[in-house]
Amino acid sequence: MRGHSYKYVATQVKFFIEKGKFLLIVSNIRMSIVEFGQAKGLTSTPNRGLAIVDFMVRLLAVAGTLGGAIVMASTEETLPFSTQFVRFRAEYDDLPTFTLFVVVNFIVSGYLLLSIPLSIFNIVRNTAKNTRILLIIFDTAMMGLLTAGASAAAAIVYLAHKGNDRANWFAICRQFNSFCERISGSLIGSFVGVAAFILLILLSAVALSRRN
Amino acid sequence: MSTSIDIPAAESSAAAKGKAPLIGTSTTSHGGGYKKGIAICDFLLRLGAVIAALSAAATMATSDETLPFFTQFFQFEASYDDLPTFQFFVIAMAIVAGYLVLSLPFSVVAIIRPYAVGPRLLLLVLDIVALTLNTAAAAAAAAIVYLAHNGNSSSNWLAICQQFGDFCQKASGAVVAGFVSVVVFMLLVVISGLALRKQKN
Repeated sequence: MRGHSYKYVATQVKFFIEKGKFLLIVSNIRMSIVEFGQAKGLTSTPNRGLAIVDFMVRLLAVAGTLGGAIVMASTEETLPFSTQFVRFRAEYDDLPTFTLFVVVNFIVSGYLLLSIPLSIFNIVRNTAKNTRILLIIFDTAMMGLLTAGASAAAAIVYLAHKGNDRANWFAICRQFNSFCERISGSLIGSFVGVAAFILLILLSAVALSRRN
Repeated sequence: MSTSIDIPAAESSAAAKGKAPLIGTSTTSHGGGYKKGIAICDFLLRLGAVIAALSAAATMATSDETLPFFTQFFQFEASYDDLPTFQFFVIAMAIVAGYLVLSLPFSVVAIIRPYAVGPRLLLLVLDIVALTLNTAAAAAAAAIVYLAHNGNSSSNWLAICQQFGDFCQKASGAVVAGFVSVVVFMLLVVISGLALRKQKN
C-alpha cells in the first residue's frame, strides 16, 4: 500500500514537473514570438521608405499642377497687326475647355496641399491603415478629375495645332504662335501630375498590403 | 510518463479570426469572409465595365451619317474617322475592353484565393493604367463633342451638330458610356485597395 502511495506521489510530482516544463516551454515560445515580432518591426522601415517617397512625389505633383494652372491662366496674346477697331486677341477663357483645365488644376493642387499633412502622418505612423485607405479613395477621384481636364485640354490643343478640314475648323496656331506654345507647355505640368498620381495610388496600395 | 506538448494553435486562430460568415464554398481553412465578398463584387463590376467599354467603342465606330441632300460634286457625310480624337477614343475603348476581358480570370483567381496578394496587386496596377487611358480617351472625346455642339466664336469654329444631328447624338452617347466605364474603374481600384489590407491576426 505504501509502495503504491509512493508511486502515486512520485507520478504526481513527475506530472507537476512536466507541467512546469511545459509551461516554461510555452512561455519561452511566446517570448520568442514577441521578440521576433519586435525584430520584424525593423522591417517597418520599407514602409517608412514608401511613405517618404509618397511625400516627395506629392510635392512634385503640387509643383506640376500648380505650374500648369498658372501658365495656362496667364496666357494671352495680341497680334501685332491689331488695328484700333479690330483686335486679334487670344486668351485662355476664349475656349471653355481651357477654363475647365485651369479650374481643375487649381482644385487638384489644393487637394494635394491639404493631403500633405496626412502623408506626413503616414511617415510617422507606419501601421496606419485607415488614413491610407482614405488617401487611396481621394487620390483615385482626383486622378480621374485631373486626367479628364488634362486630356480635354490636350484634345483642344491638338485641334488648335492641326485644325480639321472636314469640320472647317481652322488651326489657330498658325496665327497665335506664343499662345500656342504656352498652352502646349502647360499641359506638360498637368501630365506630370497624372503620372505622380498613378505612383501615389500604387505606393499606398503596396504599403497597405505589407504585414506590419 | 511521456509528455507531448500540444500547443492548441488551431483553436486560437479560429477564435481570433472571429465568426465571419463564409460566402460560398471554401477550400482553404481560413474561409475568406469579407474578402471573398469584395472579390465577387470586383468580378461583377468588371463584367459591367466590359459592357460599358464595348458599347462605347461600338457606338462611336458605327456613328457615320450621310445627309440626305447632296450636290453633284459633294456628299455631306460625317464619320468618326474624320476627327482623330474620335479615332483615339475608339481605339482606346477597344484596348480597355480587351484588357477587361483578359483580367476576368485573374478576378476569378482572387475569388478562389481571397488571401493571395499577388493577383490582386497585379490587377490593381493594370487597373490604374487602364483607368488613366479610359479617362483620357473619354475626356478628349467629350471636349470635341462639346465643341461640336456649341462651336466657338473667337476661333471661328462652327457647331457641326446643327447639321449632323444623328452623328452628334451617337457620339455623345458613346462618350457617356465611356464615362460610365471610368466610374466603374474607379470603384474597382478602391475595392482592390480595400481588399489588400492585411488583417491583424
